[in-house]
Amino acid sequence: MAIGLVAGFIGGLFGVGGGIIVVPALVLLLGFTQHHASATSTATIVASSGAALATFALEGAVDIPAAAVLVAGASIGAWWGAHHLHRISEVWLLRAFTAVMVLTVVRLVLV
Amino acid sequence: MTVVALILVGIAAGVIGSSLGIGGGLIFVPALVLLLGFDQHLAEGTSLAVILPTAAVGAWSHHRQGRVVWRTALGVGAAGIVGAIVGSRVAFSLDGVVLRRLYAALIAVITIEMIIRSFRLGAGPQEQDPSPEDAVST
Repeated sequence: MAIGLVAGFIGGLFGVGGGIIVVPALVLLLGFTQHHASATSTATIVASSGAALATFALEGAVDIPAAAVLVAGASIGAWWGAHHLHRISEVWLLRAFTAVMVLTVVRLVLV
Repeated sequence: MTVVALILVGIAAGVIGSSLGIGGGLIFVPALVLLLGFDQHLAEGTSLAVILPTAAVGAWSHHRQGRVVWRTALGVGAAGIVGAIVGSRVAFSLDGVVLRRLYAALIAVITIEMIIRSFRLGAGPQEQDPSPEDAVST
C-alpha cells in the first residue's frame, strides 16, 4: 500500500502515471516478474490517474480536445511501434530518447 | 498546426512507450509545455486525461491475458487514489514555475537512470533481453 501512496502522490503532483514507481517496486519488493508487474501497474494507474484527473478537472486544468488528439496519436504510435520497431535497435532508440530528455531538462529549467 | 503537433507528439509517445516501456506522462507534459506553450498545471491535467483511457485499455487487455494480480492491484490502487488526491492538491498549492522545476528534477533523475540502462544495454548482447527479435537482429 505504501507503494501506491508514493506512486499516487508522484502521479498526482507531476501528471504522470506512476508506473515508474510501481513497476520497479513490485519487482524488487514483492518479487513480481516484469510482465506481471507492468500489467498490475497499469491497473493501479487507472485508479490513481482517475483520482488525480478529477482534481485537475475541478481546477479547470484539463484541455480535453488536446487530450483526445494525443490519445489518437498515441494509439497510432503504439500500433506502429508494435509492428515495425523491431527493425530499430533498442539501444539506439534509448540513446536518442535520452538525448532528447537531457535537452528537455535543460529547457524546462531555463524557460 | 497545433493539431499536427499534438498528433506527432502522440505518435512519438506511443512508439516510445510501446518499445521502451516509458509512460506517456514523461513525454506529454514536457511536449505540451515546451512545444505548445501550455502552463505546467494544464499540461499535467491534459497528460492525465490521456493516461487514464490509455491505462484503462491496457489494463483490460492485460486482464484478459491473465497478467494482472488483482489482490495487489486493488491494494496499491486504493492507496494510489489517496496519494493522487494529496499529490494533486499539493500541485495546485504550488506556483507553476516551481512545479515545472520540480518536474525537471524528476525527469533528470529518470534520465540518469536511462543513461545507465543504455550503457548496460550497449555493453554486450548477452545482457540484452533474450527476445526472438534480438536473436534475429544480433
